[in-house]
Amino acid sequence: MNFPFWTPGEPLLLDGAMGTVLQERGLPPGGQPELLNLSDPELIFDVHRDYVDAGSRVVYANTFGANAHKLRKSGKSVGEVISAGIGIAKRAAQGRAAVALDIGPLGELLEPMGTLSFEDAYQLFREMAVAGAEAGADLAVIETMTDLYETKAALLAVKENTALPVFVTMSFDETGRTFTGCTVASMARTLEGLGADAVGLNCSTGPDRMSPLLRELSENTRLPVIAKPNAGLPDPVTGRYDLSPDAFAEALRPCLDCVSIVGGCCGTSPEYIRKLSALLSEPRGRAPRPVQLPPFVCTPVAPCRIDGVRVIGERINPTGKKRFQQALLENDLDYILDVAVTQEDAGADILDVNVGFPGVDEVSMLPRVVKKLQSAVALPLQLDSSNPDALEAGLRVYNGKAAVNSVNGNPEVMERILPVVKKYGAAVVGLTLDKNGIPKTARERIAIAERILQTALSYGIPKEDIWIDCLTLTVSAQQEQAAETLQAVRYVREVLGLQTVLGVSNISFGLPNRGLIARTFLTQAMQCGLTLPILNPNQRDMMDAVSAYRVLSGEDAQCRAYIGRFADADAPANTPAPGGPATIRDAIAKGLQAEAAKLAKDALQERPELSIVEQELIPALDSVGEAYGQGRAFLPQLLSAAQAAQAVFEVLRASLAERGGASVRKGTLLVATVQGDIHDIGKNIVKTVLENYGYEVIDLGRDVPPEKIVEAVTERNVRLVGLSALMTTTLPAMEETVRQLKALPSPPVVWVGGAVVTPEYAARMGADYYARDAKASAEIAKKVFG
Amino acid sequence: MELVQETLRYLGARGDVPESLRREASETARTLQRALSPRYVYRLFPLRPDGDGFRLDGAGLSLYGNSVCTMLSDCDEAALLLCTLGAGFDSRLRALQARDMSKAVILDACGSAFVEEGCDTAERELSARFPRRFLTDRFSPGYGDVLLSLQRDICALLDASRRLGVCVTDSMTLNPAKSVTAIIGLSDRPQRARIRGCACCAMRETCTLRKSGANCRL
Repeated sequence: MNFPFWTPGEPLLLDGAMGTVLQERGLPPGGQPELLNLSDPELIFDVHRDYVDAGSRVVYANTFGANAHKLRKSGKSVGEVISAGIGIAKRAAQGRAAVALDIGPLGELLEPMGTLSFEDAYQLFREMAVAGAEAGADLAVIETMTDLYETKAALLAVKENTALPVFVTMSFDETGRTFTGCTVASMARTLEGLGADAVGLNCSTGPDRMSPLLRELSENTRLPVIAKPNAGLPDPVTGRYDLSPDAFAEALRPCLDCVSIVGGCCGTSPEYIRKLSALLSEPRGRAPRPVQLPPFVCTPVAPCRIDGVRVIGERINPTGKKRFQQALLENDLDYILDVAVTQEDAGADILDVNVGFPGVDEVSMLPRVVKKLQSAVALPLQLDSSNPDALEAGLRVYNGKAAVNSVNGNPEVMERILPVVKKYGAAVVGLTLDKNGIPKTARERIAIAERILQTALSYGIPKEDIWIDCLTLTVSAQQEQAAETLQAVRYVREVLGLQTVLGVSNISFGLPNRGLIARTFLTQAMQCGLTLPILNPNQRDMMDAVSAYRVLSGEDAQCRAYIGRFADADAPANTPAPGGPATIRDAIAKGLQAEAAKLAKDALQERPELSIVEQELIPALDSVGEAYGQGRAFLPQLLSAAQAAQAVFEVLRASLAERGGASVRKGTLLVATVQGDIHDIGKNIVKTVLENYGYEVIDLGRDVPPEKIVEAVTERNVRLVGLSALMTTTLPAMEETVRQLKALPSPPVVWVGGAVVTPEYAARMGADYYARDAKASAEIAKKVFG
Repeated sequence: MELVQETLRYLGARGDVPESLRREASETARTLQRALSPRYVYRLFPLRPDGDGFRLDGAGLSLYGNSVCTMLSDCDEAALLLCTLGAGFDSRLRALQARDMSKAVILDACGSAFVEEGCDTAERELSARFPRRFLTDRFSPGYGDVLLSLQRDICALLDASRRLGVCVTDSMTLNPAKSVTAIIGLSDRPQRARIRGCACCAMRETCTLRKSGANCRL
C-alpha cells in the first residue's frame, strides 16, 4: 500500500464531516450534497481547504453518494460528479494532502434484505471506482457501511478495477453490531481476508462509545485501525451534536495506542481536526499488534472462532442420498435449505456444502445454493468442491469468511485452488493424500501436511487459515489405519500447530452398531487434537460426545452448555405420546408434524402414496381450512396443519424417490410478488398451503418483473399463476403482468391477492380470480386442476 | 402483555382464542423483546402556512392536502418520526419462515405491534420533553390524502439510511419491513383525536383487519 503523505505504520490524520458542515453553512438536510461538485464547487473547495489547513493529510472527496442508483433522478452521470469531486479536492489539497475517492452505501438494501443483487451492487461500485481512479484519486475509502455484503461488493470492485489502496470503515452501534447484525470480528476478518489496506469504524457514535469496539477491532486484525467517530450524539430537536472539539479529542486519546488513523464524522468540523492534529503530535506508546490471529470463519452475524471443537455438518451432500440428488436435479433449493436448517438447529457450527452431481452445473449451482442458505441460516459455510470455477463463484457471493474443502498434496490441485482461496480470504482444508493416493503411515501423511502448509503460506494464506484432514479409513477394512490417522492428527495439531479436520462417519462402515464405533473414534480423535470433526449433527449421540468432550477439555466453562443440553433429557423427544392422534388426518389437523410423519411411514406399509394423499391429507387440510374460513381457527393453526401435511409429503416423496416412482404432485402453479414489492410473507403463506395440497409451486420470489413471469410461464407451460401486491404503487405492475400473461397465445389462469387488491380491482385488471387469503387460493387451485 | 394482545389482534384472532395460540404469541413476544428493541429518530421543524399546506422551516419540504391541513391546523411545529425494528427483525423472520411458517406469521404480527409500540415510546418522549405542548395524533404517509412519497422525504431529512439503516424503495416501501414514518403536530392548544379510526383511513376498502371485523386502532 502506498500513497502520498503517509508511511504505513505512522499516525495519519483524516478529515472531518462534509454533510453536517454544509448544513452549518446553510444547506438544508436531506439533499444530495454530491451535486454541489457541479453547482457550487467553491463551497466544497472551502470545506476541503479548511480541513487541509487544520492538518488533514487525507481529504475525502465529496463523492459519498455519487453512485448511479442515487444519482438516477439528477440527470448527472457518476463520471461527471466524481471527476468534479476529485478535481475540487485535489485543487484544495494543493500537494499538502492525499485525496480519497469516498464510497458510501448505495441507498438500497442488498439481497436477501432487499432485492438488489450482489452482482448489480458490484457494478454500481465498479463505476465509481473506475471514475475515481481516472480522476486521479490517491486512494479509495469505503465508509459508513452497515452491511458486510455490500462492503464486500465495494471492496472487490475497487480491488479488481483499480490499483488504489483501500480503507474500509463500517458503522457500529454501542452494542457492537451494525444495523444488519454484523459483528466487529466478522468485519475485521472478512475484510482483511479480502485485501483491505486498513479497517476501522466511523459514524454512529461518539469516540467514548466507540472506544471498546476499536480495541476489539485491533485484536482481530493485523491491519492499521481507523477511527472516524461522530461528535457525540445529535439532539433530536436541533440536530446539533453534543461533544465539543476538546471533549472529542480527549475522548479519542485513550484509543490511540491501538488506532493509528483518525478523523471525524457527523458533527465534526475543521476545529475538531485541529484538536486531533495537536493530539497526534504527542509522543505515545503503541499496544502490540497481533501477528497471528485465532483460526476463524464467519458470517456477518455468526463469528466462529475455532478455539475448541467445532462441528462441521456433513448433510448437504448428494452422495448416496437419492432425495438430495432429486432436489438438486429439480432445482429444489428449499429442500437443501431445509437440510441446512435442521443441522443448524441440531447444533452444528459450520456447514459443509457439496452440490456436485452428474447433470448439475456446479459453477452456477454453488453460488445459488450459497445465497439461498445465507438467506435463512446464520452458520458459516465450508464450500466443498474440486472445481476451482465453482469455488470461485461460490466464494464470490458468500457473505463472510468461508472455508474451502479441499486441496491435497498434489501440486497441480494446489496451483488451481489456492489462488482462489487467497483472493477471497477463505480458510482451506488440505487432505493428506497426493497423486499416489493415501499414504499408509502417519509419517507420510505428515510429510504431505507439511508440504501443503508450506505451499499455502507461499501463496500468502496465513497459517491460521490452513486446516489439515488426516483422512479416516474404514476400520473393518484396514484396521491398523485408525491408529495411523490418530497419530497424524496429534502431530499436525501439536507440532505443526494447525487445525485438524476429519470426516468421522466412514470409520464404522460395514460393522454392526456403527454409532458406537463412530462415537468412540470421535472421542479418541478429539483427545488427539481433532478440532473440526465433520459429522451428521442430527445424530444426537455424536453431538452428545462432543458436548461431553467440551466439558472434559475445560472448554465448556462451568459445564454450562452440557447442563443446558441435558436439562430436559428426561422429556421424550419427538416420540408420539401414548394416547396421541391415531390417524394421519387427526395428526395433520392438530399440526403434529412428527406424529403425522410417523403415521405416514406406518401407513406406507399397507397403502400407496397417492391414497394417503387423497384419503388422509387433503380431507384433513380441508377440515382445518373450513374452520379457518368460519373463524374457528386462525392463520397460525392453518399453517401448522399445512406443515404437518408437508412432513407427510416429505415421507411420501422420499419413498417415491427411493423407488424411482412418479411424483405425487397434482399440478404445477407459479406464484410471485409483483415488481416493486419487496415484502413477501403473504405470498409465502399461500405457497406453504398450496404445496401441502400437493401442488408443485414455482416460487419466483419478490419484486419480479412481468417479463420474468411471462418467461417462466412459457418455459414451464404453467396453467395457473398467482400474483401478490402490497402497495397501491405496485398495482400498476400487477396489472401489467396480468396484461402480458393474457396476451400469450394460450394464457394461463391468473389469480391475484394481497393487501391492496380488491375483487373489483382484480376484475378490472383482467384477472380470473381474486383470493382474499391462502385458503381461498387453495380453492381456486382445486377448481383449476380438479 | 399489551404486545401479546396486539399481536393476536394483528393475526385477526378474536373471540375464543385457543390457549395454545395465546401461549405461542406470548412466547414470541417475549423472545422478540429480549432480542431487539425498536429504534427511532425524530426531528422538530417549525411550521409556516404555505398556500394549501405548510412549509417545514429549514427542511426544504412542504406538506399539502386536506388531511395535513386538518391535522396541523392548530400547530406551529411538526415532528417527523421514523421508527424501525431494523434488519435484524427481517432476518429472524426469514430464518423462521424456513423453519416454521406458522410461527413466522405470529412473529410477523408481533413485529407490527412492536414497531407501533416503539412509535408510542417516541411520542411519549416527545410529550415529556415539551410538557406544555399538545400533540396531534400521529399520522403517516398513505393515510387520508397524505402522499406516500413523503416516506422518501422524511427518510432523507432524518438521514434514515445512516442513522437507522432504513431505505425507501422506488415503490415507496420502507425496508426493513417493520419501519414506520410519521408526522406529529405540536400546538399550544389541546388537540382532539382525529385520524384514528377506519373512517379516516385510506386503507379502509382493502384492510384485512377491517374485513375481518377488527381494526388497527390507529
